[in-house]
Amino acid sequence: MPVFKTPFNGYAVRFSPFYEGRLLVATSQNFGILGNGRLHVLEIDPASGALAELRSFETADGIYDCAWSESHDSLAVAAVADGSVKLWDASLPPAANPVRSLHEHSREVHSVDWNPVRRDSFLSASWDDSVKLWTLDRQSSVRTFREHSYCVYAVAWSPRHADVFASASGDRTARVWDVRDPRSTLVLPAHDHEILSCDWNKYDECSLATASVDKSVRVWDVRAPRAPIANLAGHGYAVRKVKFSPHRENILLSCSYDMTVCMWDYRAEDALIARYDHHTEFVVGVDMSVLVEGLLASTGWDELVYVWQHGTDPRAMP
Amino acid sequence: MGSNSPRPGDAPPPKPWERATTSSGPAPFKPPSSGSTSDVVEASGAAKPGETVPNTERSVLPNRNTIGRPLPPRPWQQNYGTSYGGYGSNTNYNSGYGSGMYGSYGGFGGSSGLYNNNMYSGYGGLYGNSGMYQGSMYNGGFGGPMGGYGMGMGGPYGNPDPNNPYGPPSSPPGFWISFIRVMQGVVNFFGRISVLIDQNTQAFHMFMSALLQLFDRSGVLYGELARFVLRLLGIKTRTRKDPQLGPGTLPGLDGNGQQYIEGPKATTGSWDNVWGDDVRGAS
Repeated sequence: MPVFKTPFNGYAVRFSPFYEGRLLVATSQNFGILGNGRLHVLEIDPASGALAELRSFETADGIYDCAWSESHDSLAVAAVADGSVKLWDASLPPAANPVRSLHEHSREVHSVDWNPVRRDSFLSASWDDSVKLWTLDRQSSVRTFREHSYCVYAVAWSPRHADVFASASGDRTARVWDVRDPRSTLVLPAHDHEILSCDWNKYDECSLATASVDKSVRVWDVRAPRAPIANLAGHGYAVRKVKFSPHRENILLSCSYDMTVCMWDYRAEDALIARYDHHTEFVVGVDMSVLVEGLLASTGWDELVYVWQHGTDPRAMP
Repeated sequence: MGSNSPRPGDAPPPKPWERATTSSGPAPFKPPSSGSTSDVVEASGAAKPGETVPNTERSVLPNRNTIGRPLPPRPWQQNYGTSYGGYGSNTNYNSGYGSGMYGSYGGFGGSSGLYNNNMYSGYGGLYGNSGMYQGSMYNGGFGGPMGGYGMGMGGPYGNPDPNNPYGPPSSPPGFWISFIRVMQGVVNFFGRISVLIDQNTQAFHMFMSALLQLFDRSGVLYGELARFVLRLLGIKTRTRKDPQLGPGTLPGLDGNGQQYIEGPKATTGSWDNVWGDDVRGAS
């Protein structure tokens, strides 16, 4: 299956919600510590099956996360390490980009997510402990959510509710927010270590997954936050990102610093379905296609982007 | 997996989960509002447009990093700018400098002139055009011929002068102590360098003389061996008839010398006969 070599270390990968086989990849130079960043728009060539670059955009600082717009098929948002959130139009040449650059965070922005329900807004989570809500019709943020006492590493909109989102932070809590409420709806002390990622179940609006430095992935019911529904252990190091499948209710995909991508069925007795060890460095970004069931993508610090069908070997060439 | 044709509308294909109903019971969330996100947020009264987040110092954190803490003041941040003008008038420094440097410097002898100049050039650069600086430069020029000269200069500067016209007397001792240490380090450095050069010269000299001696001795050895071999072969060497010793040979170290000494006892009284008998007897 297709492989693409990026010049910098991969940080995030996202499937387009509009086109099958189109991806957005965020990369940072020197492992994201210092240096430039680049945003790649990749497409799988339908004839040859190879992964080719449509466009790439450069930034002066590393890019930690990216997300496609749900409202415009060529619009994307990127979280940049200089604290800015930049909007890019993939149909325009790099000279005309970024179409917007939003500077309000005082430290690195680590995660962005586009509202998949109302489609006119997106969130950014930053190391300045805050989450900001942005809309396309405003030049400044609409709201700032400040309750976390440490870096916010991830933010995720609820896929079934236009006003609800979750955030994961280094203060060892995950929080559930309603954009209309002044305070967070729920504080979830989910792990004993920093929480690096969270995602909502697409078929159960009360189910939330968190991934942490303590090597585990936990699935929670927000109505009963005292104990997790499931505790998925199996990664050897911190779990960097977790995603619920858009097609199956029970399926999760996670990637970790132990250089593997794991697929889980959190309701099954033997939760680990598959383990992919195709990366030779930390796996940092992972995504599942909304349009093609079972199509997976991953990227990591070995500067490679893999796209493969679940059940096949990512390294096998077409 | 071919790409879809671009959609004219602005909505993506429907999500797979939008067709399904939620599988668990009722959610604890308020029902979603209608309208755009900005309108919804503003209607709720929670909107705070454009709020910038200050780079907060974090209060109670489980694992805060040390970078967030304020740094203690650095030593060079204390009084540095204001006390700068007072350097020239600082008598502590001058006494220490004069006695320390010049005193230790006299031992170096001939190279002291060079050394003094070096010291003064660094000194001048640091002090700018203060009164001290000019005096020092002047002295540095004099310092060239003699190492002992510095002692004399150290004296007047070392005296604490209450009528010092060069500004207020007090300056932070921390800087002076450190500066004197730097000076001491420079002096030590050059001292070590000179000792090294001296010892290297000495070693080189000894090496060379040993080498010359070796060549000298090996020349003697070669002559002796050659003479011995020729004698074994029965070849008369004209050099043996030479009353003078060959180059490199030393009297008293070989049989020839003894025979030469005994030579005059021969009856013939001739030098040639003495040597000739010897040769004939050997062959």
